[in-house]
Amino acid sequence: MKIVVTVKLVPDTNADKRIDPATKRLVRTGVDIVLNPFDEYAIEAALQLRDALADGSTVTIFSMTPESGREIVRKALAMGADDAVILSDPGLAGSDVWATAYAIAHGIKAGEFDLVLTGTQSTDAISGDLPGMLAEYLGIPALTYARELHVADGRLRIKRETETGYQTVSAPLPALASVTKSANEPRYPSLKGIMGAKKKDIRSLALAELGLTKAVGGDGARTEVLALATPPAREHGRTVTAADGAAGARAVFDFLQSRHLL
Amino acid sequence: MKHVVVFIEHKNGGARRSSIEALCAARPVADALGGAVHAVVAGAQAAAVAEALKAYPADRIHVLDDASLAKAGVDPLVDALESVARAAGPALVLVANTMIGRDVGSRFAARVDAGINADVTGIEVRDGRVACRSPKLGGSTITTCAFKNTDYGVATLRPNVFAVTAAPGQGEIVALAPSGKSYVVTVEDEVEEAAPELGVEEASVVVSGGRGMGGPEPFTGMLHDLAEAFGGAVGASRAAVDAGWISHGHQVGQTGKTISPQLYIAVGISGAIQHKVGMRTAATIVAINKDAGVPIADFADLLVVGDAFAIVPELTKLVREAKAVHA
Ligand SMILES: Cc1cc2nc3c(=O)[nH]c(=O)nc-3n(C[C@H](O)[C@H](O)[C@H](O)COP(=O)(O)OP(=O)(O)OC[C@H]3O[C@@H](n4cnc5c(N)ncnc54)[C@H](O)[C@@H]3O)c2cc1C
Ligand SMILES: Nc1ncnc2c1ncn2[C@@H]1O[C@H](COP(=O)(O)O)[C@@H](O)[C@H]1O
Repeated sequence: MKIVVTVKLVPDTNADKRIDPATKRLVRTGVDIVLNPFDEYAIEAALQLRDALADGSTVTIFSMTPESGREIVRKALAMGADDAVILSDPGLAGSDVWATAYAIAHGIKAGEFDLVLTGTQSTDAISGDLPGMLAEYLGIPALTYARELHVADGRLRIKRETETGYQTVSAPLPALASVTKSANEPRYPSLKGIMGAKKKDIRSLALAELGLTKAVGGDGARTEVLALATPPAREHGRTVTAADGAAGARAVFDFLQSRHLL
Repeated sequence: MKHVVVFIEHKNGGARRSSIEALCAARPVADALGGAVHAVVAGAQAAAVAEALKAYPADRIHVLDDASLAKAGVDPLVDALESVARAAGPALVLVANTMIGRDVGSRFAARVDAGINADVTGIEVRDGRVACRSPKLGGSTITTCAFKNTDYGVATLRPNVFAVTAAPGQGEIVALAPSGKSYVVTVEDEVEEAAPELGVEEASVVVSGGRGMGGPEPFTGMLHDLAEAFGGAVGASRAAVDAGWISHGHQVGQTGKTISPQLYIAVGISGAIQHKVGMRTAATIVAINKDAGVPIADFADLLVVGDAFAIVPELTKLVREAKAVHA
């Protein structure tokens, strides 16, 4: 089975993220770029499936990133993935969610796949809309928010988290699943893994190889940023020291009444 | 883009509040564009849901009442939405930014090559063009985005932000033809776990616990009781989730949910930046912490310094009494 894991590269969570007022794009220079933490669960899930199958199945990492992301993608190879493809092209700059999904889907279609795994959201965009769009463009079912994944008899079966519990959902392969944080504990790359990853193949894919019929990048994007604003900072509020439980409760209660919340 | 099509998520015969919010948000947009508001309700008990939707400002309520759809996941819902949107013509499509809303909205967007504006907290119409406001980068920037290169636009609306306005007697109910397709996804079973009726994303009051809770008991005990007194939901910091005291679905913050309740009560939570980005757009923030020097003091509207185990049960009593008087 060919498993493809889509991985986004994002600014480090501790970095000071900002949007360039001129280009209205996220500033990606001068900040540390890391694998989207959510995608590590998808990578781990793919490795566990591959190793459980032990039938020659492979895990390919797929990332749409500038060429500068190549060595960061190698971390996913150090975790144990077999190879990687990066879709890098200056023509992709300024892509929105739509253009990203459209381009990645065609990039994945350029290779082989039986199962596509994604994270549930990225720490910079937090849209969570990419998995559904990707599945639609790939023409395959999407089983989202998986906390458990199994493959048997050509079918993917997952436990899908809901707001109040879970569902057991299945679909025939090829299929896509987004993997939640509760699915597993991502492994740290071992020293052997890190050394081995140096020799693994990271292939670059250019836009011209995809045969797209629709424009992508800033020109093709379906959304456009008109304005950026900084919301007013929250004020430092009041601090009340409670003598005992009853006094503390009364302080909260009176405050909520003053705000008409009770 | 002249008409506004709203996807209605429902459960047990009732529309989810976040979908009703989306329906109400659609009205002024459609009025400004000179178009109509279409609601789409598909699945089990859809007819009953549609009937109840007449209390809100839709022009047409398209209904596909078919209990078997529930077994096929979101694909038939996407088909229902697509058929209404295509018949309406170029349209703005609104879904609530919930797990199902995202699944339906994103798949629909790809089907019609539409752009998506995610996690929208405001919609305006400027010179006949729809513009959506969304908090980005953990709420530190607000972007205003329009759609381009597309006949359709999809906006996923953040729950709890748009007001519900009753407007009885407007919606005309129209039957929607089944797609006739066979679906490959099978929902084999559904399990409800010990979880509140509302998820943290939708609740208007969220009571969250952190490491200061010291164990799992307060999450099903005193925090649950306080949340229930408000009709709200229980949330948690990552420290509490990582300790295994409560499931990840309740986590608020950068690697959990981003929420905007009317009231957020943080109990035994210090207010680290990764937690803050998930809740700083709450209308009112109250913190209960035994330490006066915690970071949350810088952005809570009220910090009560004291022992949560003494304060919370007393507060629950006061809230219950007050609610009983008003009931
Ligand atoms: C990449 C990354 C992503 C992260 N994502 C998230 C996220 O999504 N959500 C999140 O919450 N965190 C997240 N974190 C973790 C975050 O940095 C903090 O570690 C976490 O929020 C701390 O949780 P806490 O406030 O419950 O615990 P602590 O910081 O330990 O605070 C516990 C508080 O409880 C108080 N307390 C103890 N006993 C009592 C009592 N009896 N009565 C009253 N108060 C009491 C203490 O004074 C203290 O202030 C992330 C971190 C990283 C690096
Ligand atoms: N540029 C990208 N390259 C590869 N995968 C991506 C990219 N952007 C998003 N994804 C995938 O889509 C998921 C959801 O991201 P998002 O919709 O941006 O919140 C992520 O967890 C990734 O698996």
